[in-house]
Formats: sequence, C-alpha cells, structure tokens
Amino acid sequence: MPERSPGRRVVITGLGAVSSVGIGVEAFTAAIRAGASGISPIQSFDTTGFPYVRAGEVHDFEPRDILLNLDPGQWGRSSLLAAAASRLAVRDAGIDPAVLARSRAGSVMGTTSGESVVLQELSEQWVGDGLKSLDPSLVAQLPASRIAAAVNSELLLTGDALTIPTACSASNYALGHAFDLVRSGEADVMLAGGADAVNRLTHAGFYQLGAMAEETPRPFDTNREGILAGEGGAALLLEPLDDALDRGARIYAEVLGSWANCDAHHMVHPDSGSIAECIRAAHEAAGVTPGQIDYVCAHGTGTPTNDATEVQAVREVFGDRLPPVSSIKSMIGHTMGAASGFGAVICCKAIEEGFLPPTANVVEVDPALGPGLDPVPGKARPARVDIVQNHGFAFGGNNVITILGRVS
Amino acid sequence: MTTAQAPAQPLARAATAVRPLVITGHGVVSAAGLGLGPLGELLAAGGPGHTGPQGDDAADYPPRAVRTVPDFKAADHLGRKGTRHLDRLTGLGLVACKQALDGLGASGAAVTDADSRRTGVVMATSTGSIQSLSELARDTLVQDAPYMVNPSRFPNTVMNCCAGQIAIRNGLRGLNATVAGGRLSGLFAFRHARVALSQGRAERLLVGGTEELSAPAAWAWHRTGVLREQAAVGEGSAVFMVEDAERAAGRGHTALAELLACEVGFYGATAERHSLATGLAECVERALVRSRVAVEEITTVALGATHHVGLDRVEELAVESALGGLPGAVRIAEALGETYSAAGAFQVAAVLAQWHRDPAPSGSVRTALITSVGQDGNAGALVLRDVAGH
Repeated sequence: MPERSPGRRVVITGLGAVSSVGIGVEAFTAAIRAGASGISPIQSFDTTGFPYVRAGEVHDFEPRDILLNLDPGQWGRSSLLAAAASRLAVRDAGIDPAVLARSRAGSVMGTTSGESVVLQELSEQWVGDGLKSLDPSLVAQLPASRIAAAVNSELLLTGDALTIPTACSASNYALGHAFDLVRSGEADVMLAGGADAVNRLTHAGFYQLGAMAEETPRPFDTNREGILAGEGGAALLLEPLDDALDRGARIYAEVLGSWANCDAHHMVHPDSGSIAECIRAAHEAAGVTPGQIDYVCAHGTGTPTNDATEVQAVREVFGDRLPPVSSIKSMIGHTMGAASGFGAVICCKAIEEGFLPPTANVVEVDPALGPGLDPVPGKARPARVDIVQNHGFAFGGNNVITILGRVS
Repeated sequence: MTTAQAPAQPLARAATAVRPLVITGHGVVSAAGLGLGPLGELLAAGGPGHTGPQGDDAADYPPRAVRTVPDFKAADHLGRKGTRHLDRLTGLGLVACKQALDGLGASGAAVTDADSRRTGVVMATSTGSIQSLSELARDTLVQDAPYMVNPSRFPNTVMNCCAGQIAIRNGLRGLNATVAGGRLSGLFAFRHARVALSQGRAERLLVGGTEELSAPAAWAWHRTGVLREQAAVGEGSAVFMVEDAERAAGRGHTALAELLACEVGFYGATAERHSLATGLAECVERALVRSRVAVEEITTVALGATHHVGLDRVEELAVESALGGLPGAVRIAEALGETYSAAGAFQVAAVLAQWHRDPAPSGSVRTALITSVGQDGNAGALVLRDVAGH
C-alpha cells in the first residue's frame, strides 16, 4: 500500500479547456453548471453508412485564435487541442510566459488515440493511391508523442515533454505523474492534461463493441445506452504551493494524492474490486478518509457495464454513505484521453465556486445501481466542496484516481 | 558549444544525486534473435541482424533495408490460448517480458502473487501498432459498411494494449504506464520508472520498449526521408526488471547493472538559448553530475540517432562536446535498424550484451552513457554502470 511520500506540496493554479460546450475555463464551467449539451451531428468525417452519427465535436475551435507559436498546418488536431488548452491554462494562471520558458517546466499529456485524424487522412491516401503515396509531412505528424511536443513548442518549454497514451484514464495518469515531477523537485512547473479528436475509427470501434448510444449519453439513467465519443483538450498548471503563494497566485486546489493500478484481468471489461483497491490506495496516498470526500467526478461513460461496475466499486469503499457521484460525459461525451483532464478541471472549479457538477439527461436514476446514489441530475447544485475524487478508467484495465483538495 | 548560458539556480537544484536503481532481469527479442547472447555476438561481429520483411504483407514493402525478428510467432512462445488476435507489436513485447520474468524465476526473484500489486509495467511506444491502426482505419473505408471493423481487434488500436496484455498475462496489478516521447520514448520509460519508484508507486517495474514492422510502417519511414538511403528500419522489444538498488540487495535480488540518472529536455525549433546539440550536451552533463560519474569514467557511449540525416551529427557533436570524445561508441542501428520507440531499450540491451560477452577485468568498473535525440526536439541521456567490477 502507498505511503505518503514527503516532498513539496503541489497546487493547481491554471486551467485550460477547449471543449464542445465552450472554449476557456469560464465558458466551459458555465456550460457544465447549466447542464448544456455539446453533442451534435458529426461534421469532421463523412458518416454515410454509420447507423449512429452523433458526437461531442468542438466546432468553433480556431487554433490561430489561441496559439502564438505553433503553425497549425504542421500539427495534428490532438496536438493543437492540447497546445491551445495549455496556452489557456498559462494565461489563467497569470504566469509571465517568458518567465515560464526560463523555468524548469514541461508537460505531460494523456491521449487514447493520439493523432487519430492524421491516421484517418493517411489511411485515405493508402486506399486512394497506395502506400507509396503517403504524404511525408502527414507521416511526421502521426506519433502520439507530438501532443506533449506541441505543448512544449507552443510555450517554449525545455523540460520533459511526455505523452501518456494510457487510453481513457490517460490525463488522470498525466496529472499524477506531473504531480510526482513537481513534488520530487524534478520540475518546477508542469502542464498536465490530455487531448483526443473525434475520428472515424474510434466511432466504428465503439459502435462495433456495442458500447455506443444513438442520441444522448445518459450515465446512471435506467435507459442509458452507452457512450457518445467526444473530443477536446484539457490542461492544468501545477506548481509548488510555496511558489504559488510567493507570486500571489489564485490557487484552485492542492493535489493531495493519486494512485494508479491495473486490473490485469480483461482488455475491455472493468473490474470493481480492482477499482475499489485503487480508490483506497489513492485515499491513503492523499491522507484522507472516505468520509472526507465531498464529491466523486465519475468515469461515468454511460455504458450499463461501466456505471454498474463504478458504482459497485464506490460502494465497496464508501459503504452506504455515498458522496454525490456525477458524470460530465453526459454533456461533452467521452473525450477519451482528455476525459479525466476535463474531470479535474471541473473539480477545481467546483471547489472554487462551490457547486456539484451535474449529470445531464438523467430522467430516472437506475434503481439497479442501488439506494442512495445521487448523480446530481440535470443542473449543478450549490454546495461547499473541499475534497474531491476524480476517476479515470481505460481499456487495458488502467485505473487512475486523483484526490484534490481546497488549500485553506 | 557550451552549457555556460544555462541559468545557475536550476542546474544547482537539478544536481541532486539520484538513488541508484538496478536491472535484475532482461528480455530481448531482436533481429539478432532471442536474448542478450545473440545480440552480443552480432554486435561483436559487426554485421546486420536478420534482413528481409516478415509477415503477410512482406511483398508490399518499399525498396528499403529492414532488420526483422525472423519467423516470429507469439504462439510459439506463449501458447495458442489468447494469442489469436494479438498484433505483432504486443506479441514481441509479451515475449520479451516472458523472458525477463522467466529469468527471475531461476534467480529466486520471481514475482509472487503477493508481489503482484506492487509490480508494474512501463512500456514505451509512440504510435502503438501501426499495423493494427492502419488496417482497421482502412477497414472503415473499404468494408461493406464503415463500422465493420473487427471488434476483437479494435482493443489492439489503443496504444496501451501491449502494457495491458503484459499485465493480464502475468498478473501484474501495479502501476501500468505507456509512455510516448518519439525517439526518446525508451529513455522516458527509464525516467518514468525512476520517478515512480522514488515516489513509492511500485516496488518493481518491467521497463522497456517495443516496435513492430509492417509494410505501412516501412513505407512511412521511407516516405519521410529522415533516414539515410542505406539505413534500415527495424523492430523488436527489449524489457528490463528495474527496482531500487538498496531494496533489491535487501531482498537478495541479483543486480546485472545499475541505472543511474536519466535526464531529458525539449529543444524544439522555437526554443531560445538552446540548439538541439547544446540541449543534448546539457542533458549529458546533468546526467553525469546527478550520477556522480566523472567524464573520464565513461567507457562506452551507446548512440541512438545513427543513420538519421543531420541528427546523427547533432548527437555525436553533443556527446563529443560533453565528453571530449566518443569512447567505445556502440551504434545499434547497423545491427538492428532504426527501432524508434524501442531504441533506448535496445541501446541499454546492447551495452549489457557487450558487458555480458566480455567480462570486465577484475577491479575495473565500466560505465556507459546512452544518448537519444529526436527531430521533434526531444533529447536525453542515461547513465548505466556495470556491477561486475565492484
């Protein structure tokens, strides 16, 4: 079991979001609080022949509006989403970009499908004129590692530029690793988060696995059908508490602890016992007890399997007194590698502004999920929130839990 | 080239000495064959490993040299159960891990059920299985309906598939990471393991990299023009069991080599103050300082960017500027081809294979520097020390 390691206290002082419900953390938060929907008919690829045609695309993302240093023509969509979210997080943190560039600063970015839109274009070239026609400049944009490289290039950072392709828990993993780099003194500022883009292959795959909803994601609802894919970029700026205090920064939350484990059981079926173990270990790492958790930001994909497994795992740890458990995927879809990054962003705002993020589209909470489950249906509810628990699970059995808390 | 412009305070802070880690197990699947022995022989002989495309799409390769793992079938090593839908990348990684774990059994350091929660995986890959990804992406365009991708193969398209399968096959329930840093991926895996172990996130980690060749991957390399005309592209997997040196000694685990500092940096085209070469030289200098190793102690340099247009020169210039030369240079690319995400792990394997083949004279301590640099701006250096001499 984890021991609480000594080291510097680490806080989150900047937030960036490029999402289907809003660009910038204020627009994103206002939309989430209102229970808005970012789901719409897919525009980014031809959906002819697909039975289901909806996703959470970011239609109004214009990279040039946000990015100062990257040439959008040289980078894939996931990289641009991550770099834009990171640029917004730096602005939000109020750090002078020139000072940041001279600091020991870097980025850790999570992703599920990497540069999936680039892959889609390359596969079209393959089908069109054969492998010998692959565009070299597109090939250069394909590696997933480009996502963190884009963040460092945009912000002129010279520290670690690491992409974590640990599928749909990746940005929670990235947050945990960035936390370790800062608290251990390996880095002084880190951008952590993730990015993914809506694409044809992921859409086909979710559909073929029988995991996709036709119209609307409804986590925790009796009539939930499954996932709708989403996209976006989420970023959080981490620095030592002492540095944040010295510069008079607004502090959203402290990273109290995190834990990662692996089901080692099945590639796509989650395991509640293993998730419960991960939650307990995260509590221990953070030095908190279940009774102190005010809110759980669920993985909450809206598939019958995920929600039942997740609620069961939470019950194993919390017993009969469940904290509110909600899923923002009900509004932005499953943004994959960015999902738990968006979760962490809204957790920070929940602590700062005092609200419980909602699960939109819930008509009737599934009684099969058991008594006492409060998914905060519809719209956000005002509440004092001091300590939150953010979930991320993934194909491959990769579970990651982070615990964030108010700095008083 | 100089590192004098670097700000003084960050360097001073970064200079904290690292706790030594140790390698206690190894698995290698390469164009030289299985294990460290054949790799050591191949490097000593100086020729190429196995050449010639493998697999169903062998006829579709570009006119470009390759180094491949000959006649590789995962089922030959792992049994038929559960191997039907595995792609080549995951198969190579699984077999390298099996070797590493089987070797531990012989030395009494096997992973028991009780250890399984504290034993994890850090696997380097920057694109995942290009074969799985490209074939399934192609299926969405050429099948009767665009959703007709094989649901049994779809999970192979996530980049953590290999690490997840390693955990499943071997019951490893601890931290499970997949790391992508382009050509630096392998060094990032070692650096990630160092940070994770130091923060108490695991007791032991299988750390390495894996890459597969296929016609789409070979064409992608061929089309980019980043490799010299005669350069080969390669594949394979190298994996090491890594743990804290002191704890390993306490448990009676036999160390094969010590892993010291692994320092990385990003020096993209827009970074001020640093060219890629000065950036790499700084990483080397920092890695030596944090390893408490003097320049004169380096007996081997394992280079990663060999055969990359321009980049090979950047790497050699940087190392020469930091060390004053290229002592005992090992260039794995001739034997194994360009192995991208797996290159860092193969560079470590190559040094271990040499040390294994030619034991050190008693009393002497051999120390290696492993360097890596990528077109994307990533650069890094790792220090490895032989334990045979002391």
